[in-house]
Amino acid sequence: MTRPAALMRLIAIVIVAAALKCRADDLVSGRWEGTAQIPHDELTVIVDLAQQNGVWVGSIIIPGFGVKGMPLTDITVQPPDVNFAVKGSLGIQLKLRLDANNKLAGNFDQAGNRAPTTLRKTGAPQVEYPRRNTPVAKELEGEWKGDYDMLGYTRHVSIKFVNHPDGATADFVIVGRKHNVLPVDLVTQEGDLVTVDSHETGFSFEGRLRNGKLTGAIRQLATETPLVLERAKS
Amino acid sequence: MMKVSGVLFLLSALYAVTSINAQSMFRGDPVHSGTYAGPAPRQFHRVKWKFPTGDRVVSSPVFKDNVIYFGGDDGNVYAVDAATGRQIWKRETNGPVPSTPAVADGTVYIGSYDGKFYAFNAQTGALKWKFSTDGERRFEAKGLHGLQPKNQTIADPFDIFLSSPVAANGSVYFGSGDGNVYALDAATGDLRWKFKTGDVVHASPALADGVLFVGSWDSYFYAIDAATGKEKWRFHGGEDPQIHNQVGFQSSPSVANGVVYTGCRDSHVYALDAATGKEKWNVFNDLSWVNSAPAVADGKVFFATSDSSLYHVVDAASGKSVVRQQGKAWMFSSPAVVGDVVFIGVLNGTLEARDAKTGDLLWDFKVDKSKQNDGWVLTSERKFNEPFLFRSNWREAPLVANDEQIRIGGIYSSPLIVNGVAYFGSTDGFLYALE
Repeated sequence: MTRPAALMRLIAIVIVAAALKCRADDLVSGRWEGTAQIPHDELTVIVDLAQQNGVWVGSIIIPGFGVKGMPLTDITVQPPDVNFAVKGSLGIQLKLRLDANNKLAGNFDQAGNRAPTTLRKTGAPQVEYPRRNTPVAKELEGEWKGDYDMLGYTRHVSIKFVNHPDGATADFVIVGRKHNVLPVDLVTQEGDLVTVDSHETGFSFEGRLRNGKLTGAIRQLATETPLVLERAKS
Repeated sequence: MMKVSGVLFLLSALYAVTSINAQSMFRGDPVHSGTYAGPAPRQFHRVKWKFPTGDRVVSSPVFKDNVIYFGGDDGNVYAVDAATGRQIWKRETNGPVPSTPAVADGTVYIGSYDGKFYAFNAQTGALKWKFSTDGERRFEAKGLHGLQPKNQTIADPFDIFLSSPVAANGSVYFGSGDGNVYALDAATGDLRWKFKTGDVVHASPALADGVLFVGSWDSYFYAIDAATGKEKWRFHGGEDPQIHNQVGFQSSPSVANGVVYTGCRDSHVYALDAATGKEKWNVFNDLSWVNSAPAVADGKVFFATSDSSLYHVVDAASGKSVVRQQGKAWMFSSPAVVGDVVFIGVLNGTLEARDAKTGDLLWDFKVDKSKQNDGWVLTSERKFNEPFLFRSNWREAPLVANDEQIRIGGIYSSPLIVNGVAYFGSTDGFLYALE
């Protein structure tokens, strides 16, 4: 084969591969609906998958499980294989394969259990994006401390706010019988209401700055207890 | 020689009486030792028989004269041949019977959710008498366990047992959802006295040295004079005014050597001086309920926890941990100590046999229903799949989840070991005999 011919062939392969990839991406991108067949039950599963700046993003809905627009993680799309996970307490993994009928079929894994799953494309993707941290007011930056009582003993709470270019972060610590550093996934300030959420543990704090004190409540799942935080002495 | 054999005969006769009596009420005997005469099956060989009922079996079986007696949530009280598993008789009440019978003087005593307390002829099942309490109910509270809406009064789905009677000295004693502890004439059913507590009493009273010991959901543990019904002392357990989760004595006590041992929903096991009620020690269980009744044997206290799923053995004198084994799932069943083996039921549908010294698992038996794992109630490791199961705390969702959890064949029933056979009930609706 001459050198120009070889070059032409390589270019053709690249073009075909790119075209195939685009077609595969088009095939995978969308809203997918179906069921996971768990024993004595059938779970409805709705998945949205799309590409954003060359990166796959997605979210999932499982009606009846309080799962609505939860972000997908660990998404890998290597047609015909499409794999992704849902982190958090449920801990779901889906390992699917695009079949000849343009259905995604495979397994729905949760807590070591496995169920066969088939999803059918029903339309364009409607990916939901998680809320983002917002900045907090300058006067909130730094560490705040306070106590509350539950079940007969005192819990010491510390929240430390730090502003960053893309929003604030917070260190959230509760010391009771144990020293608990809570993973914080959302810090927001809307008006004068500041919220710190640790969805994984079920704890959250919300309060307003009043007379130099952060006055509000700490919530653990369904239990809400008043809490006043004061600026920690440096 | 004659003298020696005469003494031996007397001893063996006494032993026989003790061992038979020690199987005829909840936890074996009036002090609720939870210990049974051997031999204990250290290996599982086969299902000797399984007896079907119409609903879950939460009641614990008792044994008398080769007959197994128990209650069914199908509303029946059953007498079953211990050797064959064939029904001898059944008698219907007007409500579920998640109470364990006491058998004494040819009579089976048991309470039902219909609010009545029954005495049946042990041989025929004929009704001897029945007594009306002020009515059964489950523990209930607003916003119970954090369930929503928080201003809604919710009956506790985990208040699963009814009080099991203790029969002794011509009286029969039991607690009730009406908040009373009752003492009835065992022969006639006439009321001797009743003692009012502040809330539901579903623990089984223990009787030692003329004193009745029992805890209530009002957060107090009581010592009551068995003859007069007068309070001798009370001990205050933990309270939880916010979500009423860490309050109440669901556990039944055990009494040994002047000490009362009891679990509590406030996540402690308490050792109390039987004479004064003064606390000798406590073991904290990281906010996990202790609903299981402790067993006391060889200077050790055996108990299990619910959410933290711990099998725990502590020194009876000090409360110091001797054995601590991580279990798979919640335990409400109470341990049965038989020689060098301890048996306990697990809510994931497993009966476990553990070495009494080390706590190591010797063998286990899983009911079929739990292996089907309908609705993925269990993880592949047979733990409760909690995020999958308890996915909402609003309205009826937690109650539906609790029902799914129960339907997989959980073993709330406390095992009974007789002649090397382990008997227990399961929420799959069967009473099992394993050997």
